Amino acid sequence: MSILLDGKTRVLVQGITGRVGQAQTKWMLEYGTNIVAGVTPGKGGEEVEGVPVYNTVAQAVAERGAEASVFFVPPAAVKGAALETIDAGIRLIVVVTEHVPVHDAMEIKARAAGRGVWLLGPTSPGIITPGEAKMGIMPGNMFQPGRIGVISRSGTLAYEIGVDLAAAGLGQSTAIGMGADPAPFTSLSELLRLFDADPGTDLVITVGEVGGTQEEHAARFIAEKMTKPVVAYVAGHSVPEGKRMGHAGAIVHGEMGTTRSKISAFQKAGVDVAMYPVDVVKLVQKKLGKSFQTR
Amino acid sequence: MRLYEFEAASLFRQEGVPVPDFAIADSPRQARQAAEKIGFPVVIKAQVLSGGRGLAGGVQTADSPEQAEAIAGRVLKSAIRGLPVNRVMVVPKAAVAREFYLGVTIDGVVGCPVVIMSTAGGVDIEETSRNHPEKVTSCQVPILSGLSLPQAEKMARKTGLTADESSRMADILHKLYNVFRKSEATIAEINPLALTTKGDYLALDAKMEIDDSALFRHPELKISPEDRIASPLEKKGRQIGVTYVELDGEVGIISTGAGLGMATMDIINQRYRPANFLETGGGISEELLYQVMELVMQKKGLKAVFINLLGGINPIHEGAKGIVRFLQSHPTDIPVFARVMGNRQEETRQILRGGGVEVVTDVATEQCMAHLFQRLGGGR
Repeated sequence: MSILLDGKTRVLVQGITGRVGQAQTKWMLEYGTNIVAGVTPGKGGEEVEGVPVYNTVAQAVAERGAEASVFFVPPAAVKGAALETIDAGIRLIVVVTEHVPVHDAMEIKARAAGRGVWLLGPTSPGIITPGEAKMGIMPGNMFQPGRIGVISRSGTLAYEIGVDLAAAGLGQSTAIGMGADPAPFTSLSELLRLFDADPGTDLVITVGEVGGTQEEHAARFIAEKMTKPVVAYVAGHSVPEGKRMGHAGAIVHGEMGTTRSKISAFQKAGVDVAMYPVDVVKLVQKKLGKSFQTR
Repeated sequence: MRLYEFEAASLFRQEGVPVPDFAIADSPRQARQAAEKIGFPVVIKAQVLSGGRGLAGGVQTADSPEQAEAIAGRVLKSAIRGLPVNRVMVVPKAAVAREFYLGVTIDGVVGCPVVIMSTAGGVDIEETSRNHPEKVTSCQVPILSGLSLPQAEKMARKTGLTADESSRMADILHKLYNVFRKSEATIAEINPLALTTKGDYLALDAKMEIDDSALFRHPELKISPEDRIASPLEKKGRQIGVTYVELDGEVGIISTGAGLGMATMDIINQRYRPANFLETGGGISEELLYQVMELVMQKKGLKAVFINLLGGINPIHEGAKGIVRFLQSHPTDIPVFARVMGNRQEETRQILRGGGVEVVTDVATEQCMAHLFQRLGGGR
């Protein structure tokens, strides 16, 4: 079992004819993703890796039954493409694009409200259900099928945790990159709720970093609503105040956004917190005990 | 990108937010002339991209032309939190009866703008909301319809203001929200908003940060981000298209992602100190990593470099060629370690090994870093 994505999901790739779109389509197909169509306006009728390309999302939905879409679209074009995709009735949109203006992201989120669509990103590495399918840029060889859910703000840290878990024989049900921007489309709490309801997930790992208040809000959700155990990791305790560390959302202002604030919120909610990536594996093993089946 | 106070004040004024008349001076003589024109007393304010100016002596009152010139002379020679002061703002000193706070920022969890109002202005808003939550009220704004005047007025009434005061406050907040939206800001803040003894409202400070990702469509702001970076190495990073943050340690970091870069910093910090943070983002090429090596190796006092390459979106095998090309043309005694995983890991490892990079193949970053610690010996 998994959340949001499995081997049958009919996937659309937007921006499929670009350099990154083409390369990633190849990796996704090799992994087993059921890619049914691509879209690049003006390139309808072409093919990429054997995948038919359409001019509009509506065409890809009508002719190929696309139901989920991954974006390799330039930042300035993301808003228009997202609104088109929402209107076409797609149920999962993964925006890999970095540097999407944050006001555009907020507008997209507002327009998606109540439309029955899940959005991941911007600056998301994507979503992977190991052994079945992946949408986005996550390297397949760093994940393994299993029963642990992973939610990460950072792409590369999702890979780091994925491969550390895999080395310890701990596979994942689904791993999700929620995006590293100041205002991600979907909050950490909403994704925790999905994993909590998934019969294929026994425990969830949240991989956070300095900046914003996602972790603090999620801690409240965990304390009040979550039934499954959660292990948290927060990166960046050596980051000095006022320095933006790459991600638009990763900056500390005063007490706001510090690892201290996040760790203390998690601990109050009964969540075990790792200070370094390798500690995540130890905490998971402790939490699951010996009764745990890795597959 | 943070704006200087005078830049934010100009944007506020364009939208009708009441700001005092002000002048900008980059010499003591200019400051004196501006002050004479404005009339005494005046306040002379250092223009730097940092908070805490008041405490650092960057905001001072002058009662005469001589005093204005002397103060401007001192302030213009000073540095605030390490940032040199190149300009001062000269404003008339206001007679303040009461101070408020108005702000617009982004609620990152809900994903919408949020407006904040407080009857305790002039102090840190986070502190006020912790210690006197009753003095702060905030409200999420539906971005598609925007902030309505009645919504803003209702907020002001909640802070205990009278109907007349609330309507004036709401009007200013509404204008501030418009500035925030038009310039695609992440923060727009007036702290304090003063009620003068004459009964006028005046924004006595102006703080704004513009979304870096939106700057491309705001040529009217005339902002060149590179001009605002003090460190030459950080400026160079911006020019080649990576995030480089200069730090004061001895181990250089190159990472293919920001989160991984922060985790790598944390791990180095167990025994040594990071000399920099560098993340490439998703645009790796041979040339980029050549330039990245050139940048990282320039830092003084470097004892080792740790390269953390995870192949997701990036063609890391191309990057590896750039690293090797740099090392071949710039031989060094500084050990360079690389940890490589993900798409094309074997190919990438081979290229690096062939070029004198010590490739470590343990799984986790921490296990790989242990090799670097061992080489350097000791640590703290």
